[in-house]
Amino acid sequence: MVLNIIQREIRHHILSLRLHITLLLTLTIFGLGTIAFVKSHSEEQAEYTKYHTEFIEQSRKAAESNLTKLAVKRQNLVLEPRGDAFITDSKEKYLPNRFDFSGYNVFGFDIRPGSANPYLNTFQELNWVFIVSIIISFTVLLFTFDTVSGEKEAKTLAATLSNPVSRGALLFGKYLSMIITTLLVLAPGMALSLIILLISGAVAITPVVAGEIIGFLVSVFFLVACIAAFGILSSVLTRNANISLLVALTLWLVFVVIVPNTAVFWARRLFPIEKVETVWERISREREEINRNAPKGSWSSSGDNPFLPQHELRANNQTNLMNSQMKILNAYYGEMFRQYERARMLTFLSPLSVFEYMSEAVVGGGYVRFQKVWRDLHAWQTQFLAYFKEVDAKDPDSPHWYNPYEDYSTTRKGVSFEQVPVFKEKSLPLRERISYASLYLLITVLYTALAFVLSFVLFLRYDVR
Amino acid sequence: MILSIALKEFYNNLVSARFTIGFLLCLFLVPFALFVSINDYKGQVRAYETERKQAEESAKVRVYSALRPEIVKPPEPLSIFSRGVSYNVGSEVKVLLGEKPFLSTGRSAVRENPFFNSFFSLDFVSILAAIISLLALLFTYDSCSGEREQGTLKLMLSNSVGRYKILLGKVIGVCLALLPVVLFCYLLGALVILFSPDVSFSPGEWVRICVLFALSVLFFGLFMLVGLFISTRFRSSAVSIVVCLFVWVVFVFIVPNLSVYMARSLIKVSSQESLRSALSDLDREYGEKCKGYRTNLAQPDVWMHWNYTVRYDGFQELYGSSRSLMEFYRQLNQFSEPLRIDYADKKWAFQKAYLESLDRQRTFAENLALISPSEVFRLAASALCRTDAESHYRFLERTRSYRDEFISFLNNKKIFSSFEYFTRQPQETFMTGDEIIKTRTGGEFETMREFGKWSQAHNGDFSPLWRVDIPGTSPNEYQPLDLSQMPKFRWEQASIWGSLKNSLGKVAVMAGVLIVLFYLSFISFIRYDVR
Repeated sequence: MVLNIIQREIRHHILSLRLHITLLLTLTIFGLGTIAFVKSHSEEQAEYTKYHTEFIEQSRKAAESNLTKLAVKRQNLVLEPRGDAFITDSKEKYLPNRFDFSGYNVFGFDIRPGSANPYLNTFQELNWVFIVSIIISFTVLLFTFDTVSGEKEAKTLAATLSNPVSRGALLFGKYLSMIITTLLVLAPGMALSLIILLISGAVAITPVVAGEIIGFLVSVFFLVACIAAFGILSSVLTRNANISLLVALTLWLVFVVIVPNTAVFWARRLFPIEKVETVWERISREREEINRNAPKGSWSSSGDNPFLPQHELRANNQTNLMNSQMKILNAYYGEMFRQYERARMLTFLSPLSVFEYMSEAVVGGGYVRFQKVWRDLHAWQTQFLAYFKEVDAKDPDSPHWYNPYEDYSTTRKGVSFEQVPVFKEKSLPLRERISYASLYLLITVLYTALAFVLSFVLFLRYDVR
Repeated sequence: MILSIALKEFYNNLVSARFTIGFLLCLFLVPFALFVSINDYKGQVRAYETERKQAEESAKVRVYSALRPEIVKPPEPLSIFSRGVSYNVGSEVKVLLGEKPFLSTGRSAVRENPFFNSFFSLDFVSILAAIISLLALLFTYDSCSGEREQGTLKLMLSNSVGRYKILLGKVIGVCLALLPVVLFCYLLGALVILFSPDVSFSPGEWVRICVLFALSVLFFGLFMLVGLFISTRFRSSAVSIVVCLFVWVVFVFIVPNLSVYMARSLIKVSSQESLRSALSDLDREYGEKCKGYRTNLAQPDVWMHWNYTVRYDGFQELYGSSRSLMEFYRQLNQFSEPLRIDYADKKWAFQKAYLESLDRQRTFAENLALISPSEVFRLAASALCRTDAESHYRFLERTRSYRDEFISFLNNKKIFSSFEYFTRQPQETFMTGDEIIKTRTGGEFETMREFGKWSQAHNGDFSPLWRVDIPGTSPNEYQPLDLSQMPKFRWEQASIWGSLKNSLGKVAVMAGVLIVLFYLSFISFIRYDVR
């Protein structure tokens, strides 16, 4: 019986105008979005390759002339454009995406200047996640808002229920058919997008990317299930299809506009963090304190003589300055991370935001990528410093006074660049992706279950006359 | 007759559930959007105060080489209504000799937590655009198709009443019901503004808000006619609502993203890194020239910089060094600083090309966004609220002309060829290297050569030099420069006419489309099959 209902419903959907419009719209956006992605991705990749080659070349030059020069060199790590960004870019252009480090420390992060044109409005890229979270979610609500109230108005609900079919089966059949239809609508667009990608050859569809696409499909399935449940809920809440529509639209506005747009406002109120000015005031107070206590002559230097006694004083002083600054800054960064994570938790109220985070975890981009690089960079820096000290220890011409900002009092010999540990970004391991994604999945399932059970209960009591 | 139809429509609308829900939505969203924006604005004001204080602090300098005025643009109170680009661009510009003001920087461009940039937030105008367009469509989508379904349209037409009268009556009825809602949103906004202690609007700004209201009415009218037109094209209200809603989603949610995304990928902007590397090539060339000049100068007797600070853009402050070293730097600056200004012009060619490519991208995005009336409305609103890119360009342009004023001020003082550029120590108190060594070591060493030998024998020990201090060789002994003669930065905001001029064409097109739509709906209503 459920099968019959599903068949009937799907046939009904496929003939409907809304499906045709959605199909047209998704195909257009998938096509345009992918073409734009292919073009900008290859350009970004070329820019990145140029930048990265230069970066490596400079490191090589520094290492081969004087290892200390490389160790104290303040460098910027820029993230490579992701090939799977056609699924989701996870707003990486707006998140911190540049890291400031040397061999002695990882100093901080910022948003790369020029990663977004300041004169353009902030915008979402037309990738798969955008299409699903805006167009598909909207269509699903448009398809479902009148499942019950619409049939009641058309008087077909009473007729259907006069057959030997339970209300639960009817509702479930309608629900399943909705999910299937939506996935059917999505399929041609995704296929088009993949064909464009394959023809252009901008992105290689490796097994990893294929796996990500499958993960994305799983998240889409759960999202559609969730939104459809909300749509059905809005249709059983009222006896009139027009009002159901309003309820559904309001829900959509809440999910798409209100929840994500107000997260920052609430996060600032609820989880305030120290102001950046006061952090820097504290740092400069500590600096002054350290400089005051430093022995006289700490700042004198002479480039010719590594063993100048002042070099040791200054090395100690500079190390103290760095350590005190980084202690304060790292605590502050930790606060920032926590505040942001909590702000994200506030947006868990919207299944669409949860879906965005789930896709972010699936492709290992955005904030999870940032955290991974941040951790790995610290690990690399420790490893590099250990290597540097090992090389320095072997040099008889070095006094081994480690100064994080100057190259006077440690080894001045070059090494072959091949032996120097170089930072390489590793993509997020599968296990971590799954563990992040499963949290979001759980939340989505919870919402779905809640909405569906509620609509089921309401439907059992629904007056079909 | 029109009036009675309008009144009927008005009452019908007023008691409908959509009116209640729409009204509640406005009642809830509008104050909230304003509340969030006012909160953001307060943050901007705080950032501005800190930056201004810092700018004032940084103007307290002892030497002219350290004098690089910082200009901070006060936050725009109208950004509460339309944010425009004001939160993406910074508000601070440092006037340098070696570079023209390029892009503004500063705290306001970066939120206190940079991760928050990944949350987008909508301003009053965007929320209003989304909601009033939705309401306009929801109230008109069934005006023909719905009445046809109920059969009331036929009844109405059986009376002796012209079809155009019915159409006009419906339009007026919807206006009667919804224009008060729009007005209500603005009044609510005005109340929120009036009662928040941190924001005060000047009369000119209230006038701008009134113009913004007029724009919203126009925008509302446009969407109403879109709904009406769609309603006259379809025979079933279920179809016309679906079409209306898709039109709404495309205009309000897809086109804004689509236009910017397409602009980004179709109009290439090279990375700032490659711009920087082009600039640093010029810097290197400049450095080479200075180096060449340096070697040809008479060399000083000793390379001892007693109290020396040096930073970017020619900043150097030097005390207690030998007369010949001071003279060396004076001659070097006389050559290097005018050259630095020349090189800024050379760099500007690259920077200008970069800015132009940014602007091409923006113009492309804005032109593409003209498909959507809600984007036209938002663009016009941000121009009106002085938060659009053009207003920011004007500010930057002004800082560039101010830099010229500042440079001519320096030139008039002939500052690059004077000692005052890098030291406050009076010229009479300069000593020779030997005199300095003798005084500082308390007479233990007569000449530099003697001290050098001793120091080398003692593993580069400099400590005898701290025995006797020479007065006047520490920067702390000098007061900051008196800068009352320096030209001040003054900036005039665009007049209301100036702000409107650019968007006038777009608004006129919007009004034109409105009239065409009315005509089209009229035609298709005349031919509408009422059975």
